[in-house]
Amino acid sequence: MPSALGFGLGLRPVHYTAILESTPPIDWFEVITENYLVGGGRPLHFLDSIRDRYRVVMHGVSMSIGSTAPLDEAYLDRVVALAARCEPEWISDHLCWTGVGGQNLHDLMPLPYTEEAVAHVAARIQRVQEHLRRPLVLENVSSYVSYTSSAMSEWEFLAALVERTGCGLLLDVNNVYVSSRNHGFSAAEFIDGVPLAAVRQFHLAGHQDHGSHCIDTHDAPVREEVWDLYAHAIRRFGAVSTLLERDDKIPPLEELVAELGQARAVARAAGAEAA
Amino acid sequence: MRLAELERAVQEHVLAGGELPAALAEAVAPPAEERWQIYTEGYRLRLIEALGLQYPALHARLGADGFAMRIEPFVAATPSVHRSIRDYGEELGAHLRATARTPDDEMLGDLAEFEWQLAAAFDAADARPTTAQDLAGLAPTDWAELRFSGIPSLRRCRTTTNAIAVWRAMQLRPEAAARLEPPAAPAAPTEWLVWRRALATEFRSVEPDESAALDRLFAGANFGALCESVVATHGDQAAVRAASWLKGWLLEGSLLRV
Repeated sequence: MPSALGFGLGLRPVHYTAILESTPPIDWFEVITENYLVGGGRPLHFLDSIRDRYRVVMHGVSMSIGSTAPLDEAYLDRVVALAARCEPEWISDHLCWTGVGGQNLHDLMPLPYTEEAVAHVAARIQRVQEHLRRPLVLENVSSYVSYTSSAMSEWEFLAALVERTGCGLLLDVNNVYVSSRNHGFSAAEFIDGVPLAAVRQFHLAGHQDHGSHCIDTHDAPVREEVWDLYAHAIRRFGAVSTLLERDDKIPPLEELVAELGQARAVARAAGAEAA
Repeated sequence: MRLAELERAVQEHVLAGGELPAALAEAVAPPAEERWQIYTEGYRLRLIEALGLQYPALHARLGADGFAMRIEPFVAATPSVHRSIRDYGEELGAHLRATARTPDDEMLGDLAEFEWQLAAAFDAADARPTTAQDLAGLAPTDWAELRFSGIPSLRRCRTTTNAIAVWRAMQLRPEAAARLEPPAAPAAPTEWLVWRRALATEFRSVEPDESAALDRLFAGANFGALCESVVATHGDQAAVRAASWLKGWLLEGSLLRV
């Protein structure tokens, strides 16, 4: 199992120059795979420069591991080529589907938690892992609907996939919180039900609370309830690599570095409590 | 409902929006209707936002609301078939031109086409262009045999309006650019070359004779054949003219020797 990377930030183009000029105290960067599946120019230039100074993880948004459309081998080839270029610590994507019939909704659509879906997704994870020659790390997504056909909880679904494929998990603490509010389950029960050894990484991000439901917007700082859940996760899983995401209303780098400092403090306190 | 059937039904609903089909209402736990709107609205808004980033001058010219209103029919008629949302929207320029009713619409179509080529050049494959120095050692007889392709980032597009002037003005003084009126009727087409030199995207206009020369060059003609083809239009100045173009192309870094 790769060692914990510490506290990282999602790499966004608006911060390229600030990162290279100030070399901020960020332990690692997570890069959106699709942003760098390009021929050349600025994106790959900055990826190379930042990779020279920091460790990186590749995080995809379009593998569509849960789709019933054929697996896109050409896409996987491009992911492999990018991995050869930037040597990521691991490669992650989302446990969801993004489209069928050659179309892409550019969204992380939820799966039904059924035996049929476990069998289907597990077979695809195994094929992807053979292609990538490494374990795939999968993230739980935020969801707004649940299917009446689901026969197990989301964490039981994750556990079944880990057991069958040996894949790793990227536990998005904010997504656990958002989905728990939307579907009325216990977020702590979710965290406690995830297989202990499989979790490679945490995600932290902000969301919007609409009272009756929450939306995973990544446009604001991490909320108090999510910090509490993160502390719970640290107590259970220990010092797992932690990544802060911001995709909208992106503030100056210093603000995100400060928020990362908050993550360090919460983790330190929770770690001390656990010990 | 089997997984494949469920995914198809969900996708159809997200693309079509509107009321929840009965099959999905049964498949989804309440409160289904309003929760689906997060996906259906999200789909539409995400594509509009992505196009706004891809077409920043068009977005600035129309304003956020005007942009959304103008491109909604395109988004509704054009589902994404791309893995990266960055690749969505290439057909927007053609769509705006095909549905143009006013000179301003024509200008917006040109502007979109130009911005797409800028974006395509921005992250096209890197290549070291051929330079005059690379060719300095050639024997005079070898020059006629030279063949070239464009570097991977080289793009060409045509405009019949003042879209490029609008684009330029948007970079400097967006508020003034909003007042630039398009010509009442489309002018003769102007061709533009767009390419990337190191990390900077560049562009310039091309005269019709140079454009025809590039057509021949990229169709595989060698430099000797190119010079001969120019005789008809430039007479005994043909070789000088062709040499001057070549010098310019090498200087701006838009060619690769093949």
